[in-house]
Amino acid sequence: MSTSTRSGLGRALIAVYAVFALSATGRSLVQLATKAGEAPLAYSLSAVAALVYIAATLGLAEVGPSPRRLAWAACGFELVGVLVVGTLTVADPDLFPDATVWSAFGQGYGYFPLVLPFVGLGWLVRTRGSHARS
Amino acid sequence: MIDPLQTALIGAALLLAVATGVYVALDRSPDLVLIGLAALVEVGLLVQAVVGIAQVVGDSRGVSVVTFVGYLLAALVVLPAGVLWSLAERSRGATAVLVVAALTVAFLVVRLDQIWSV
Repeated sequence: MSTSTRSGLGRALIAVYAVFALSATGRSLVQLATKAGEAPLAYSLSAVAALVYIAATLGLAEVGPSPRRLAWAACGFELVGVLVVGTLTVADPDLFPDATVWSAFGQGYGYFPLVLPFVGLGWLVRTRGSHARS
Repeated sequence: MIDPLQTALIGAALLLAVATGVYVALDRSPDLVLIGLAALVEVGLLVQAVVGIAQVVGDSRGVSVVTFVGYLLAALVVLPAGVLWSLAERSRGATAVLVVAALTVAFLVVRLDQIWSV
């Protein structure tokens, strides 16, 4: 049997994810509502990031039919996202005219967005039981 | 905004974070003292929200009203959610939820000040 992902340390982790889900969603809604045309790529990316954080929060909090799979997918996507977007924004700052959560590896958020997926995936590995597959 | 309240709120939220950190270190669940402190901060946040909304609606001075009010309201949700989540389970990690919540509140108030002084 695998251990619950929302127990112990997992609770604190979910709290951090929830804060990011809230702030990324808020930021994205404001951007899309007030100036969607200015930087469509950056703002769509903000919206995607918001959805990923919501999915990770729900997955880790064990909401939905297969939360562990959801959490794996969300944290994995998050890791790829922050690495790709981080590298692109450092290499070519003009690509995204307005900041997203993942710009410069999450510099604007104290590099939390870079550390978070590693902790999330690490937690999923750690709570994985001896014979749980997903 | 009213600066003394902001300063007090940041200080109180950080104090709450440190105090909760001690509870985490001692492996104790939040008790009435800690919850009382959180409630005190929450009352301050409520005052801030009322005053802040009144001020920004009266004269926005070019401040983004949506963002500003969003931050004011978001700050209200964080502590109650954090307290509920940290009480729902008896573990270090659960108590640490309140540390996260308190730090988030401090951060939100700092950002509110930044948004307001634009």
